Amino acid sequence: MNVAAPTTSIARAKTAGRPVGAKARIRVKGLGKRYGTLEVFRNIDLEVGDREIVAIVGPSGCGKTTLLRCIDGLLPASEGEIWVNDQRITQPIASVAMVFQHFGLFPWKTVYANIAYGLKLAGATTAEIAERVPRFIAMVGLSGFEHAYPYQISGGMQQRCGLARALAVEPNVLLMDEPFAAVDAQTREILQFELLRIWESRPTAMVFVTHSIEEAVLMGDRVVVLKGRPSGIHETITVDLPRPRSRGTLREPRFAELRERVWGILMSEARAAEFHLEK
Amino acid sequence: MSTSDLSVSAGRVLASGRSTSLASSPLLLRLLAGLVILLLWEGVVRGFAPAYVAKPSGVVMAIPKVIVNPAFLEATAITLTAVAQGLAIALVMGTIIGLIMGRSVVVERMLRHYVNGFYAVPMIIVLPLFSLWFGYSGAARLATIVFAALFSIIVNVADGAKSVPREYLEVARSFRSGRVRMLREIVLPAAMPYFLAGVRLAAGRALIGAVVAEFFTAIGGLGYFILYQSRTFHHDEAFVGVMLLAAFGVGFEVFVNWCTRHFMPWYRRDEKTD
Repeated sequence: MNVAAPTTSIARAKTAGRPVGAKARIRVKGLGKRYGTLEVFRNIDLEVGDREIVAIVGPSGCGKTTLLRCIDGLLPASEGEIWVNDQRITQPIASVAMVFQHFGLFPWKTVYANIAYGLKLAGATTAEIAERVPRFIAMVGLSGFEHAYPYQISGGMQQRCGLARALAVEPNVLLMDEPFAAVDAQTREILQFELLRIWESRPTAMVFVTHSIEEAVLMGDRVVVLKGRPSGIHETITVDLPRPRSRGTLREPRFAELRERVWGILMSEARAAEFHLEK
Repeated sequence: MSTSDLSVSAGRVLASGRSTSLASSPLLLRLLAGLVILLLWEGVVRGFAPAYVAKPSGVVMAIPKVIVNPAFLEATAITLTAVAQGLAIALVMGTIIGLIMGRSVVVERMLRHYVNGFYAVPMIIVLPLFSLWFGYSGAARLATIVFAALFSIIVNVADGAKSVPREYLEVARSFRSGRVRMLREIVLPAAMPYFLAGVRLAAGRALIGAVVAEFFTAIGGLGYFILYQSRTFHHDEAFVGVMLLAAFGVGFEVFVNWCTRHFMPWYRRDEKTD
């Protein structure tokens, strides 16, 4: 029809290819992770530009969350190396912040204190905290809930709080571990567009792990599909949808095309995984 | 909810012919049971025991006399001060040791059996040792109180520190928290429920420790007051002291519960978050 043939316009690469941003913020080289005899993934090569969002999708248990924890320095790699800001990652570093699927809010701290937590550890002064925390509370739309405890607010609001805590340390790398997987469908959509809006106002390098194909295509400049046992990067799809992205993006034929493409790759893997389990 | 269920079923049982309004109030039932016990006690003592044996009416009559007795007041102050001091020492030491034990496999392996062993040892058997080391003095009593209270705090805090949800530790590590800071800022608050359980146990044990030390070493205090009164056949007066000890136990429980509600509004409600 009036759309270009998908096979020609979709980039395919064995590795994750070249980052969109001017320079690579994250460089993952030949990364492998093993737990004893269980090899989770091997030979991962990935570069993420300084203003690029890379979404990682893959079947359950393919190690996408493990990969993210390695990049954050929470888990040691078994092989290969990770560089962020030209610094070799052996432990968590200051300019990287992570948003967790489980939110990771401390129930004994108020929204305000939870958001201030990262800043305090980064050595911010009381004045800096008093200036920054309200700003980020406003940014994620939590004004008026500063003194609420996590148990008093909804799941969506809790993750807004988790997001603000990560943003407050002004990282240049954001690691998102299925951040919206634990909230309901409507809230999830709202949060996706809020995150895009915030990212547009302060673009960073971002690795976005998700098992929602729609979310991956909506968020990512590239979608990386992890596949196999042990898994590796099976395919990288460049998402050539214009930014800023909005609800309108979801209606674009190109969006549907890309979504179907990722779906096709993933579902063949899901079927294989199913049969693998049944053996 | 469960209490009203209970009182409803109790009401049904008692309701046959009787007034249901009386039977359906748990408070009334409790008071009724207490009254029956007191009446039985009074009756048995009046009927079968020598005159100096304590009976409820005698204890009530003794209360106004005892609570203005300077010796009683001084003894109470001495014992309570010693318990407060000992409990404070045990809380600080026990919390620090417990936190480290709970988070360090090496320290845990080194100390686990010793702590459990001392926790199980009846505090009475260390008294002869303590009175040898510290003399028949307040120091021996303080040592007994600390010994009695310390291990229940260590055991509980260590369990709490061990069961801190991994997510919290992961967040702390991701934001580059040091280990000591993590103990103070994450592990300790997350272990609060265990800590409180330990404090409740420790307070009871500390009180027992103080009284036992006073019984055996005859140093002044509430325990000694009770001992002295009963040896001089003032059983009613001795019983006022016993009642005061019981009241401390209840009072401390109320105090801990109040602190929990007041300072930790999130506690017991964080389950609702998921």
